Amino acid sequence: MGDLILTMKGIDKTFPGVHALDNVDFELYRGEVHALMGENGAGKSTLMKVLTGIYKKDSGTITYDGNVVEFTSPREAQQAGIVIVHQELNFLGHLTVAQNIFIGREYMKGKKIDDARMIEEAAKLFQRMHVNIDPTEKMSNLTVGKQQMCEIAKAISHDAKIIVFDEPTAALTETEVEELFDIIRDLKKKDIGIIYITHRMDEVKVITDRVSVMRDGAYVGTLISKDSTKNDIINLMVGRVIYEDPKTKSMVPEGAPVVLKVENLNAGRFVQNVSFELRKGEILGFAGLMGSGRTETARAIFGADPKDSGDIYINGNKVDIKSPKDAVNNGIGYLSEDRKRYGIVVQRDVAENSTMACLDNFINGIFIDKKKEDSETAKYVESLAIKTPSVDQLVVDLSGGNQQKVVLTKWLVRNCDILIFDEPTRGIDVGAKSDIYKLMNELVKEGKSIIMISSELPEVLRMSDRIVVMCEGRKSGELSIEEATQEKIMHLATMGN
Amino acid sequence: MYQIKQNPLIKKIGFNRIVLCLVLLIMYGFFALFAKNFVSYNRLLSAMNYAYFLGFLALGVTFVIATGGIDFSIGPVMFCAAIMSGYLLTHYKWPLWVCLITSIVIGMLYGTLNGYLVAYKDVPSFITSMAIMQMSKGIASVFTKAQSVSWPQLAQENGWYRNLIKIKVGNTYLPIGLFILLGVAIICSIVLNKTKIGRYFLCLGSNKEAVRLSGVDVKKWQMLAYIICGTMAGIAAIFFVAAYTTVQPGYGDQYNNEAIAGCVMGGTSMAGGLASISGTFIGVMIISILQEGILAIGLNKNYQLVITGLIVIVAVYLDVMSRRRKN
Amino acid sequence: MSKKIQNTPGSSKKSIIQRLGGQNVVVLLIVLALLAFFSITSPNFRKYSTILSILDYSYYITLIAIGVTFPLITGGVDLSIGTGLICYSLVGGYLVVYQGWPVWLGMIICVLAGAVIGLLNGILIGIMNLPPFLATLCTMMMTRGLGSISSKGLGIPWPTAGTEGGWFRTIFKLNIGDLKLPLGFLWILLLVALMSFVLNHTKTGRYIIAVGCNKEATRLSGINIKTVYIKAYIISGIFAGLASIAYSAIFASVYPGTGAGFELEGIGGAIIGGVSMTGGVGSITGTLLGVFIICILKTGLPFIGLQANWQQIITGIVLITAVLIDLNRNKKKLIR
Repeated sequence: MGDLILTMKGIDKTFPGVHALDNVDFELYRGEVHALMGENGAGKSTLMKVLTGIYKKDSGTITYDGNVVEFTSPREAQQAGIVIVHQELNFLGHLTVAQNIFIGREYMKGKKIDDARMIEEAAKLFQRMHVNIDPTEKMSNLTVGKQQMCEIAKAISHDAKIIVFDEPTAALTETEVEELFDIIRDLKKKDIGIIYITHRMDEVKVITDRVSVMRDGAYVGTLISKDSTKNDIINLMVGRVIYEDPKTKSMVPEGAPVVLKVENLNAGRFVQNVSFELRKGEILGFAGLMGSGRTETARAIFGADPKDSGDIYINGNKVDIKSPKDAVNNGIGYLSEDRKRYGIVVQRDVAENSTMACLDNFINGIFIDKKKEDSETAKYVESLAIKTPSVDQLVVDLSGGNQQKVVLTKWLVRNCDILIFDEPTRGIDVGAKSDIYKLMNELVKEGKSIIMISSELPEVLRMSDRIVVMCEGRKSGELSIEEATQEKIMHLATMGN
Repeated sequence: MYQIKQNPLIKKIGFNRIVLCLVLLIMYGFFALFAKNFVSYNRLLSAMNYAYFLGFLALGVTFVIATGGIDFSIGPVMFCAAIMSGYLLTHYKWPLWVCLITSIVIGMLYGTLNGYLVAYKDVPSFITSMAIMQMSKGIASVFTKAQSVSWPQLAQENGWYRNLIKIKVGNTYLPIGLFILLGVAIICSIVLNKTKIGRYFLCLGSNKEAVRLSGVDVKKWQMLAYIICGTMAGIAAIFFVAAYTTVQPGYGDQYNNEAIAGCVMGGTSMAGGLASISGTFIGVMIISILQEGILAIGLNKNYQLVITGLIVIVAVYLDVMSRRRKN
Repeated sequence: MSKKIQNTPGSSKKSIIQRLGGQNVVVLLIVLALLAFFSITSPNFRKYSTILSILDYSYYITLIAIGVTFPLITGGVDLSIGTGLICYSLVGGYLVVYQGWPVWLGMIICVLAGAVIGLLNGILIGIMNLPPFLATLCTMMMTRGLGSISSKGLGIPWPTAGTEGGWFRTIFKLNIGDLKLPLGFLWILLLVALMSFVLNHTKTGRYIIAVGCNKEATRLSGINIKTVYIKAYIISGIFAGLASIAYSAIFASVYPGTGAGFELEGIGGAIIGGVSMTGGVGSITGTLLGVFIICILKTGLPFIGLQANWQQIITGIVLITAVLIDLNRNKKKLIR
């Protein structure tokens, strides 16, 4: 291992209402593979965005290659030799591999782009990486794995000294992962420093030298990969203070009837043979890492995406849900994780958003009964403590937490018996969070049933009566609240394939 | 107790309307100063002739724009409806009332086709409506073998339909058409703001996916917007012939632009989700006075094309900017 | 895992049809089928003069289609090309016929006028961020008005063959004795070759495709996407200018108020030829072939007893069909 190429010291970054990075330190040697781990929202991506100039840090220093640097754009960082291989690949599908690698810095022969040379150079790159990709192939025709190789090739062609991999294996097959590791070992030999963001425990031992763990925006500690066990890492990751005690036992009454039963649900790559039951008055936690198929499962049940096969029973009766309309008619409500895209209608007001799912209840003759609509909405505005000057306020002007409460109101007004909450507290402040927890407890007391998808383990442990854990599109386990611990959930969620 | 207050947006739309009315007045004043004999009842009646059919077109397309789409076919569809029903009247001697209904039905059929392709086949609305614009021109020409059609004059048999726009009372004319247009505008405004139809239009124009995930059959509602728009084009056809009697196949596309201009000027956002019927109404009045005024100061119709084009650019640009500031 | 590299182009396994561009072959077959159909059903169709008249009609549509291919590939559209070409022809022709300017200068004015409107479109779309269909709708109206205004509402008879300045008509149709040579087709082929080169082998073309694939990724690659848009619309404008010359040379007179609908034939031709409405995909040769389908229909329909007005209906149907096929193609890709 060579000398230090990157030192980040005392990095601090605050967003309105969130202390995203709290005095974070990070070091990287030349030729080192340094894993960066932590739960979703621990601050890994934010740290990398500060490094590459997407965000401006509030304080702290970054020393790169001996100099203190401050990049103002990813392009600048790229030119200096720091490249990110993103999880969501950003490529130009209709152009060829070679054209993608050299976009924006084409070799020219007079006015003509020298495609032959670009193909040659790309082929050389691939040769160095020992992968077999035809540089003249269209990017969109490649597998995800191959596309990623192209991104890596692009990084190498930039003469990168540091390459950041953001969950590179999330979408790869086993052989592709092997290929990737070969390449990473190769890059190491060339003294390139590699930051490797991952959720997979097994990879840490296989490919990384050290592993640093972040939690809640703070740096927790660094371990030598080969000397540490999976448990050591998990302990660092989950050692977060839980302000309120987790539930110790299920609140669901003995013999409560099953309201929703899902059998062998299949929908694309992310939902494979998922089966579970939901009982009356129960909060069923859905834990798992990002991309484990929780949201996809929810969307398939709700009819938002087509399902390939599988049966859904509500109160023991088999139902055929083909569209969200069918789901809503069957008393299911779905609170999406992406409320801007799927939840709220931003240009319209609070009352209109609230009655969207059951407008028919507010029709008087041919008119919308605005009075009834406003008073019904005002009731929820009060009980959920939605901070809005009036029910005629446009939703776009509300804060994230209040927008989330508006979407909640929509389903409460609809009076759904089965509610699917997908990351109900993501990106909202502490106060709104506890309001939502309180509400969920009240709802189940009234006899509603809730499926709660959450990436925050303390939240899962605090709210759920039972926990389903998903991993790579499959249900990897089910835990009763009595037996569940953060460690057990993490084990099930990182089983790998 | 929770208080329901007036929100700033309503104030803002109110502000827009005041500005529009001022523009209308200033423009009228301008032409009154620079055009000879502009201030007369007959001039106003003539401007209104233009406002009637344009008003129906603009009201219809307001619904489509509210859903985030566009309809470029309304002008030619209006002509097609006027030509085909007129041909049935003059050539095949169908009863007048049947022909009037036929005109509306023809508009509705085009709207249905348009809406089906947009909502159920995901074809971009500007392409569908362009194609339908072309088809409606062709169908009208083929139907009449490329002849123009003249609807009967008031004095002739079957001429009573012309009373739809103005009726002679003593020595003056009463602008019936204005009352009808106002009535329809009020109905449209109620539909847009007070009923489920309008609510779904506006919401799906703002965020279609969120509405779909609320369990609403968005395709059905999206298609309905185009059907309403087409139907209004069919009604517009009646008012066009009541004002001008003669229709020629192969024309009509400039009226799309003027109707759309009336909408965007009136504060209906091209990005969908925000629409104002009263704004559209005033916008249409502005365009109509503008066209009358341009003729009155001795310029031809072509200047109006250029000016309307500029108006749309400015209106859409302001909309784009205000949206960007919000995000 | 294979560690060998095969980097010579053509080594990958692609069928010959794919190499030629699958869509092109299909479109070519349709062109041939249409020709065969009309030839069989109508004896009058099988004449040299018919081919000449198909070509005559094809020049200006092909030119605007080549031009509009560029905005389409960026994911936009240019609706101003149809009324635009009439406007440019009126402006140039007015200067030639009524102001006595030399014909060559009038032709340059045509192209310049096109470039100016193209620049305007580019600014509205690239810098002011207006939706392309609306921005170009406005310039469509404006060019229509400006054309009529500049010619004072008159039809403009560009100089006829044989008179002074009439030489420009021979650019497109050369008469040697009794033999009429469709010289224009040669220029079209040259322009197709030139613009294919621009699209596939220059930075301008590469970035136009890139913007159509993924605007944001292109911007993050350090490319100034504003100028990319502006360039695409200027190209479209210039070609509308060239089309206006072709139109003036083929028709005896140019009339104000016409031209609406040409843009659909151009856009339709491009989409049939494989340009995707969603951007990023398209070829100039494809567009050329696509235009020929429309031109053959246009010329051929009267031969089987359908009057000229059927063309409009057919154009509409063909356009929608082409877009539906394009959408279907994309859907299949997504599922895969």
